[in-house]
Amino acid sequence: MQIDIPFIFMALIEIFKALPLTIIITLVPLIIGFLIGIGITIIRIRKVKGLYSLANFYVSFLRGTPALMHIMLIYLGFPLLIDKLAVTFRWTFQSTSIPILLFVLMALSLTAGAYMSEIIRAGILAVDQGQLEAAESIGMTNFQAMRRIVFPQAIAISLPNLCNIFIGFLHTSSIAFIVSQKELTGATNIVASNNLKFLEAYIAAALIYWGLTIISEKVTALLEKRVTVYNRGGVI
Amino acid sequence: MIQLRNIQKSFGNQPVLKGIDLTVKKGEVVSILGPSGSGKTTLLRCINFLERPTEGEVMIDDITVSSQKGSKKEILTLRKKTAMVFQQYNLFRHKTVIENVMEGLIVVQKNSKETARKLAMEVLEKVGLTEKANAYPVQLSGGQQQRVGIARALALNPEVILLDEPTSALDPELVGEVLEVIKRIAEEGITMIIVTHEVSFAKDVSDYIVFMDQGEIVEEGTPTVIFNNPKEERTKRFFKRINREAGILESNLSSVI
Ligand SMILES: Nc1ncnc2c1ncn2[C@@H]1O[C@H](COP(=O)(O)OP(=O)(O)OP(=O)(O)O)[C@@H](O)[C@H]1O
Ligand SMILES: [Mg+2]
Repeated sequence: MQIDIPFIFMALIEIFKALPLTIIITLVPLIIGFLIGIGITIIRIRKVKGLYSLANFYVSFLRGTPALMHIMLIYLGFPLLIDKLAVTFRWTFQSTSIPILLFVLMALSLTAGAYMSEIIRAGILAVDQGQLEAAESIGMTNFQAMRRIVFPQAIAISLPNLCNIFIGFLHTSSIAFIVSQKELTGATNIVASNNLKFLEAYIAAALIYWGLTIISEKVTALLEKRVTVYNRGGVI
Repeated sequence: MIQLRNIQKSFGNQPVLKGIDLTVKKGEVVSILGPSGSGKTTLLRCINFLERPTEGEVMIDDITVSSQKGSKKEILTLRKKTAMVFQQYNLFRHKTVIENVMEGLIVVQKNSKETARKLAMEVLEKVGLTEKANAYPVQLSGGQQQRVGIARALALNPEVILLDEPTSALDPELVGEVLEVIKRIAEEGITMIIVTHEVSFAKDVSDYIVFMDQGEIVEEGTPTVIFNNPKEERTKRFFKRINREAGILESNLSSVI
């Protein structure tokens, strides 16, 4: 078998058109997951009664299972739940009218939340308690002290991990093609089977993912320099 | 005026403070001395409720906060009347020197940024750090960092500043500059409660000395009385040991030189 190199370039252009959906499936879960992660972290650090074990279970289960399972469980399970509720409350609403993308985003947001909470927690614990006490000793509320003193430093400390998780989720977004999303991998599959040139199409896809990853790493390095500027005495 | 009434604190079932009563008048400088583990830090932290006492109450001016009933809001009011200087400085690492000093002025006292900057600059002047206003804590020596810590406390113009061994994390050659700053603000009439191991400094700067051991005040009085005529056996023993240690240190130093 011969590799059709010109086709790789054609495929590259074709597949690239699916980039916006990949970005959505990567970024939306990370943003929602960040908020979930903060919530979970607060619950776990404050040991909020009732929610504490639930939060621990959530993190343990979602980190303990592949993201693909989360997508399948939500994709298969959530419609059942909606339809049950619809019958009970006499809604006219049907689960089939929910776009599949929404299930994917839900599932991956939950996945991201579990990973984010671990990263944020590690960041917060890495900021020494003394600064929090100093802030509280001058009359700041715990919330003010967390938001203004602890959190900015926790994020700066966590940044390398947050960027790693971005790259991880960029790659994870590819499994959305299982539930027929036309993101980069879904598009690759279409290009490949329409032209019966599978290897070429997947080489093209791999190049795109690789390029995106390299760009992310470069951006990370820049960002990191910026947010930890205080450690180098203001020199960027 | 600050009044502590029957402050008790236990960690688990280990009693660390066994009923401390203390009154500090406005403008007074009170030093707390005592062996390691006697509860000095814990007492200081009970005053601003960084540690909630198990029993007793803290009164500052017109407000009284009791150990059990003290609400979040009352504790916050109490903390707005106090400020603390920590052994490990505890500066906000992601903020510059002047931002460290401005933080409380803006967030707690709701000053405008310009007002806060002006006030902060005045206080930095007092601790001799105007040139370092835009430096970050990592760029400062320990002595400079502690002077920022003092400036951060002083800027809020609190009823009392609580200092927990402000010089004991410092290299010996940096102790002097910090003690000097503390002495200067003591002369301005700022009320202070200082936990320290620097006996001669305490003698010099204090209006009143409290000697603690095993969670109790063993003896208290003016420096002259406590240092020259201690009544209690434990106080005498403590000073004897301190003097001996200082003596050994000195003879070591002279043998090195
Ligand atoms: N958070 C805590 N949990 C349990 N025990 C504590 C805690 N903080 C202090 N203690 C105990 O309380 C006692 C008094 O401690 P404290 O730090 O107040 O002593 P100190 O007089 O400040 O000593 P030093 O001169 O060494 O600083 C010690 O036995 C200490 O082990
Ligand atoms: Mg102590």
